[in-house]
Amino acid sequence: MSAVFQTAITKAMRQIRAWARINSPWAIHFNTGSCNGCDIEILATLTPRYDVERLGVKLQGSPRHADVLICTGPVTRQARERLIRTYEQMPEPKFVIAIGSCATAGGVFRGCYNVIGQIDEVIPVDVYVLGCPPRPEAITYGMVKLLNKIKEAKTEAADTL
Amino acid sequence: MRELFAILFFPGGLFLLAGGMMYEWADHKLIARLQNRVGPRWFQPLADTVKLLAKEEVIPSGISTFLFIALPIAALAGALTSALYVPLGGLAPTYSFHGDLIVALYMLSLLTLCTGLAGSNTTDSFSLVGATRTLTQLFSYEAPFLVALLGPALAAGSWQISEVNTYAQSHWLLFLQPIGFIVALIGLLGKLEMPPFDSPEAETEIVAGAMTEYSGRGLALFHLGRKVELMVGLTLVASFYLGGLGNPIEFVVKTLALLLGLSVLQSLMARLRIDQIVGLWWRYGALLVLAQWLVLMLIGGFTS
Repeated sequence: MSAVFQTAITKAMRQIRAWARINSPWAIHFNTGSCNGCDIEILATLTPRYDVERLGVKLQGSPRHADVLICTGPVTRQARERLIRTYEQMPEPKFVIAIGSCATAGGVFRGCYNVIGQIDEVIPVDVYVLGCPPRPEAITYGMVKLLNKIKEAKTEAADTL
Repeated sequence: MRELFAILFFPGGLFLLAGGMMYEWADHKLIARLQNRVGPRWFQPLADTVKLLAKEEVIPSGISTFLFIALPIAALAGALTSALYVPLGGLAPTYSFHGDLIVALYMLSLLTLCTGLAGSNTTDSFSLVGATRTLTQLFSYEAPFLVALLGPALAAGSWQISEVNTYAQSHWLLFLQPIGFIVALIGLLGKLEMPPFDSPEAETEIVAGAMTEYSGRGLALFHLGRKVELMVGLTLVASFYLGGLGNPIEFVVKTLALLLGLSVLQSLMARLRIDQIVGLWWRYGALLVLAQWLVLMLIGGFTS
């Protein structure tokens, strides 16, 4: 009797936590050596025209406040350490969106001597948004795709939910 | 028993936290509509708080862990305590005694002080700069704001919030002391660290100011303290200047009207630099409020 009650409570708490995480994804933005094209589009996405605050997305300054790392650029060797440090500063549960062709597969910089090539060689990525640069609508679609992914609990951080 | 219920559930405690969240939502929604966008959904502040409580709390090394954990709790406690002396929800304050205006304002300042201390208890420089700015701003707006709230107290002849509230119900001090009202309104913006006075938490300049290192539960408690401060501050200024708060309907209408004024000011103005804030308050704020007091003294001298 009390075991059933306990599992019911645990299940309810998990659902409340999942609801809160899906409805309040605070983001920070990091540029690992991109040409800034994707960063300009990300900035545009955060403006009143595309209004992502209705999804709950708020741009934060500090990695310690954020759930989602919106990342652009092929990881240059200099940025690699900083990217890892920023990612590790974010508290669990955390998710990563890789924006642009450079972040996904190196883009125009693939094979260069100073570039790692893709973000998922450095940190685990949850959603890729392709484009050079992707339009703000595509970036918003990527955010929604991440939220749906969390809802179905298919992310790398699934076991912390 | 009645006091315990008031502290825990209504009109303090849970009701105050929920009310603070609704007012925060109203503020964000108004700013969004003024910026021609849709804005957050009604449960957004609740989702933010629950999410933060469910997040891992990272405690940096090399600092005082006790202070790191205790300061957010002290901040929220200060804000919740100050709410016991103001006419929340249009009802009589739970506790009332002579001089409780000073106590309520001091409890609100406790929140800002704890934020400043939390920013100082760190090894990185962004939090330190944010803490310095928080305390500098506290130093600059606190005196004119307090004196602007003492104007109605002088007119009512008492330093007790409930008596000023009763006096204000028959005298609309918005028209009798307009300068004091303007200083109190802008002082409220400064107290709540809203634009144009959000220099202590300038994301484009100092990452996140005093709260850079906070995450999870500590950050949630600081944010809750801010929401409670919003509600208590609105109640105080509306009670003193907008004709007193006698019943719940008056409370809702007057505080929401004041919030609309705050939201308009927030979306109109850009951020001021910290030295501009200090200059503004110690020059114009202090002068305006002293001029108001001079008028009050002269009129009081002539009529009594």
